[in-house]
Amino acid sequence: MSDYVKMSLKLFIITALAALALGITYAVTKEPIEQQKEQAGIEARRAVLSDAQQFVAVDIELYKNEYPGIVEVYEGRAGDTEVGYVFRILSKGYGGNIELYVGLNTSEGKVAGITIASHSETPGLGANAAEPEFLSRFYDKPIDKPLAVVTGDSGKADEVEAITGATITSKAVVDGVNDAISLYNQVLKDGGEAR
Amino acid sequence: MKLSKVFINGILNENPTFRLVLGMCPTLALTTAAINGIGMGLATTFVLVGSNLVICLLKDFIPSKVRIPAYVVIIATFVTIVDMIMQAFVPALYESLGIYIPLIVVNCIILARAESFASKNSVLPSIVDGLGMGAGFTLALLLLGSIREILGAGTWFGMPVAPGFSPAVIMILPPGGFITLGLVLGLLNKLTGKTEQL
Repeated sequence: MSDYVKMSLKLFIITALAALALGITYAVTKEPIEQQKEQAGIEARRAVLSDAQQFVAVDIELYKNEYPGIVEVYEGRAGDTEVGYVFRILSKGYGGNIELYVGLNTSEGKVAGITIASHSETPGLGANAAEPEFLSRFYDKPIDKPLAVVTGDSGKADEVEAITGATITSKAVVDGVNDAISLYNQVLKDGGEAR
Repeated sequence: MKLSKVFINGILNENPTFRLVLGMCPTLALTTAAINGIGMGLATTFVLVGSNLVICLLKDFIPSKVRIPAYVVIIATFVTIVDMIMQAFVPALYESLGIYIPLIVVNCIILARAESFASKNSVLPSIVDGLGMGAGFTLALLLLGSIREILGAGTWFGMPVAPGFSPAVIMILPPGGFITLGLVLGLLNKLTGKTEQL
C-alpha cells in the first residue's frame, strides 16, 4: 500500500513541478508574445495599405452578425487624411479558415493590397493562393461593386482569374475581399463609422 | 558503447523513420517540401535532446510503474515551454518552425527514446542519442521531402529543378506520401538485405 502512496506522491510532484514551470514560463513570455503579435499585425497592415502612416481601429461590433468573417477593421490615415481601410478577415477555404488582410485604398477606389496570414489549403494547389502571383491579381481592382471569380482569362476589370485546380480556395479569397468591399460600401463609405 | 557509435546508430542502424518506423504521422504529413523536412527535423532534435537530458537526470526519481505518465508530462511540458519561449524571443525562428512544435508532442520517437535509451543510460550518451536520432530523423525527412517536392512540385527548396518538367501533383498530396515512403523503405531494405521472409 505504501508503494502506491509513494508512487502517487512522486507523480504528483512531477506534475506539480511541470505546472509550476509552465506557469512561470507563461508569465514571463506573455508580454513579449503579445508584443510580437501586435508587431506582426502592424506589419501586415502596412503591407496591404502602404500609403497609410497610422492605423486606427474601427468598432464593427454592430455589423458582426451581417459580416461574421470580418475580425478587425482599421482606418488607415496619412496625417489628417483618410487613405483607406485594412480588414482582417477569416474566410472558409477548402482545408479550413483562410486568414486574410485586405487593404482598400478609398481615395482611389481600388484594392491596395492583400496578403494571406495563415491558411491550411492543399500544398501545390490551394496553397498557391498565398503566392504573389495570385494575390497580385487583386491589385488595383475597383471597389465599387463585388468582384467575380472566373476560370480562364479574366477580361473585365471586376473579374479575378481563379487558380487552376483550386477553385474553392480562389473563391474563398474573393469572398473575403468582397466582404471587405461590401462593408466599406454599405457602412464605412458614408462616414457611418460606429466608432 | 562509444559515443560516436551511439550517434551513428541513430542515423543508420536505428534510423527512426526507416528502421524503427516511428513517428509516421508527421513524416507523412510534413514531407511535402524539402524545407519542411529540415524544419521538423531540427525542432524534433531540439526537443529530443532536451527531453532525453531531463528524463536521464530524473531516472532514479521516477518510479518504474508510473514512468510512462511521468515521461508524457515531462515531454509535453518541455515542448510547451520551448514553444512559448521561441514565440516570445525568437519570432523569426518561430515563424518557420512554430507550426511543427505542437506536433512534436505526439511524435512517439521522443517517448521511445526516453523509454529505451535515456532511462537506462547516463547523461552524455543520452544527449548524444538525442542528437543522433534527431539527425537520422532530419535526414530521412529531408530525403522524403526532396523526392516529393521534386516530383510533385518540380522544385527543390523552392527552386525549379528542370525547365519543361510538368510535376505530378499527387506526389505532394497524402497518397504521394505513402507511395514515396513505401518505395524508399522497400529500396533500403533491398539494399541492406534486411528483408524478412513472410
